[in-house]
Amino acid sequence: MGADPLVALLAACAQSDRAAFEQLYRQTSAKLFGVALRIVRQEDLAEEVLQDCYIRIWNRAGDYREGLAAPMTWMASIVRNRSLDWLRRANPEVIDVDGEVIEATASEGPGPLAALERLQDGTALARCLGELEAKQRQAILLAFHDGLSHSELAKHLREPLGTVKTWVRRGLARLKACLGARAGS
Amino acid sequence: MELHRKPELQQRLAAEFALGTLRGRARQRFRSFIAEDPALAAAVQDWELRLAPMVAAVAPVQPPARVWRAIEERIGGAPMRSDGIWANLAFWRNLGLAASGMAAGLLAAIAFIAPQAPSPAPAPVVVRVPSGEMAATYLAVLSDPKTQRPMLVVSAGRSSNELWVKTLDPAIHVPERSLELWALPPGQAPKSLGVIAPSEKMTALKLIAAADQALAEVPALAVSLEPAGGSPTGAPTGPVLYTGPFLKYW
Repeated sequence: MGADPLVALLAACAQSDRAAFEQLYRQTSAKLFGVALRIVRQEDLAEEVLQDCYIRIWNRAGDYREGLAAPMTWMASIVRNRSLDWLRRANPEVIDVDGEVIEATASEGPGPLAALERLQDGTALARCLGELEAKQRQAILLAFHDGLSHSELAKHLREPLGTVKTWVRRGLARLKACLGARAGS
Repeated sequence: MELHRKPELQQRLAAEFALGTLRGRARQRFRSFIAEDPALAAAVQDWELRLAPMVAAVAPVQPPARVWRAIEERIGGAPMRSDGIWANLAFWRNLGLAASGMAAGLLAAIAFIAPQAPSPAPAPVVVRVPSGEMAATYLAVLSDPKTQRPMLVVSAGRSSNELWVKTLDPAIHVPERSLELWALPPGQAPKSLGVIAPSEKMTALKLIAAADQALAEVPALAVSLEPAGGSPTGAPTGPVLYTGPFLKYW
């Protein structure tokens, strides 16, 4: 795999190069909008999140460190964080506890795990996720992709809160052990 | 909470923060721990990297064209790098607009952490002013342009040559950096009013003359993030964090 072209675009953004910024937006906004939309589940909110995040990316492009993370990882973290913060203040009525919106979006295209397996970068994570118990895996995928809190997970999966919390906790611990073992081998 | 003495809990919370299941107040509190603890920030970042490949599985959705137009508008009015901002007078006319997003600099050290979300409604601010002086006071409430949350209150009696700065949220102070207060006279370069003391809730700043002479023509104040001890150049060098109109209260 060659150098990620987004690295150069971010570097140019750090030099206040607006054309590079527009390029960066064209190449990454659909993915990042997808990320925000899955979590906040409201188009107008997701648009606002996206706007804020690109302003932040523009202002902080100079903080990006190539060795640390791929540009998309860096940008997606910004979008995920912002989206999760927005959820905190969103009207609780729009929170999709019954999962209708989630089911609807989830049914489009391949499931997250299938999509993961097709991706080079995702292989280790996909394998490690595959090694989890099904319930743990489902809880972690739902939390990550759809921004579900513990209590939303409990409602969605129709399980007691404590049980769901344990799945998430154990799932994450096993994931770390599995990824660590792979990195070492 | 002494989180650093509980490495297991630390790991677990870092993982749940990155996964997104750490919510609400717990999330905000954890964020403040991250800001003070590089090891914790690194743990969160490790988790973000571990989980990041999952983003690849998210289906892309084309955002409407208005999103890019709005972004362009927001970065269009002023040069975005901090050295250019202050020279551009148009910037001050769009103060609230252009300064939004600049609080980013506050958390520059933590590359992966987004800022606290805007609160739904700012808490009411109670300022006690001795009744005798109430009739003749300059007053400014400086807020974060993005969240509209009031962060500092600045006041001075008309004939006083002391300016009082009250910090409403002690969390605004950044380790090893200083917050500097600036007067923004129209058509002129910002003038430093001094550095806000990091620990005390109230700071008194000396004015070169009585407020009536020194500040009568100043319509707005701003706070910027500067190297420890204040701007080395005498002009603002860091991002604008808080701004507000400077009013005559009489």
